[in-house]
Amino acid sequence: MTGTYLFANIVVRVESLHDNVHRLCHGYETNGQPRLTVRTTREDIDFEHARSKAADIAAGRNVVDYNDGYLELLAVYRKIAEAMPVWNTMLVHGSCLAVDGAAYLFCAPSGTGKSTHARLWRELLGNRVVMVNDDKPLVRVADGTAMVFGTPWDGKHHLSSNVAVPLRAVCLLGRDESNHIERASLDDAFPSLLGHVYRPIDPTVLLQTLTLVDRLVGCVDLWRLGCNMDLDAARVSFAAMSGERA
Amino acid sequence: MKLKEEYITHEIGDGLVLVPTGLASWSGFVRGNKTFGAILSLLREDTTEEAIVAAMRERFDAPEGAIERDVARAISELRKVGALDG
Repeated sequence: MTGTYLFANIVVRVESLHDNVHRLCHGYETNGQPRLTVRTTREDIDFEHARSKAADIAAGRNVVDYNDGYLELLAVYRKIAEAMPVWNTMLVHGSCLAVDGAAYLFCAPSGTGKSTHARLWRELLGNRVVMVNDDKPLVRVADGTAMVFGTPWDGKHHLSSNVAVPLRAVCLLGRDESNHIERASLDDAFPSLLGHVYRPIDPTVLLQTLTLVDRLVGCVDLWRLGCNMDLDAARVSFAAMSGERA
Repeated sequence: MKLKEEYITHEIGDGLVLVPTGLASWSGFVRGNKTFGAILSLLREDTTEEAIVAAMRERFDAPEGAIERDVARAISELRKVGALDG
C-alpha cells in the first residue's frame, strides 16, 4: 500500500504492509514529488515489537502485545524522524498548541501532565487555541527561527492540526502543588530538552539533532513551569509566556 | 576498554554531554566538564585506566591523586550506563 504525504513541508512517499498508516495520514496527502521514500518491512515491525516490549518491561508495566498495523505506524514515524534532521527538522515529544499565531511547546516526561496542561489552556482560551500536536510535533530550526508542524502522530487523544506555526516558546513542565513559572537558562534547557527529542539510531544524524537542539534553545523563549491541574495553572503560564492576561 | 560507537559527545557551555543514539538500551545522558571530555577523547581508542591517567598527567597539572580520582570516577560512571566495551 502506498501514499504520498506532506510532513513539515517535505513530501514523503510511504510504502507500507498495512493500511493503518494511510488512514492515520488522511488529510496530509499531496501530489508533490517525494524527497523521501519510507518503506516498511516485517523486520521493522519486529523491531518496534521488541522495543515496545523492552520499554514496558523497563517501566514495570504489563507487556502489551500491539498489532502489526499499530507497530507499523511507529516504524514509519521512526523512519521519518531518522531522515528529518537533514532538513533541519526534528521530532520533539511534547504537547504543542498555538494561540494567535504563536506556538507554545510543553515538554515533560510521560505522565507528568503536559496534555492536561494543554487542555487547561483550551479551557481558559477557548477557540483561540489551535492544537498543533498533542504528542510528537516536528520542529524545524533554520535561519534563526523555529517552526513547528502538526503531524498525525498526535497521541492518544488524537489532537493535532495540519498547520505550521512559528514556535515562540518551549516550556519544561513539572508537577507542583502551587503554580509558578520562571525563565529557564540555556544551561538548564539543553539537557532537559535532550530527554524529549527523538534520538536517531545513526550517530551522524544524532549529531545533527544535537546541533538543532543547540539552535532551538538559542531562538525561542525558554520557561520552566511548576504546576498543578487547576485552571489557575494555565492562567499563570499563559500570562508569563504570552505577556498577556487571559 | 573503549567508548562504544553509539555514544556521541556534544559541547554545551563550559562542559559537554555524552548522549547515546536511539540504538542504546539506555536513553539518558551524562554531563561532564572539560576533564571528563578529555577522558572521553582518550576512550575513543582501546585503552586502559593506567594509560588514561598517564595521558592526563601529561596534559594537566593537578594535585597528587586528583587525576586518578577523576579517571576512576569517569570510568565508573561510564560503566554504570553501559557506555564502555571491554
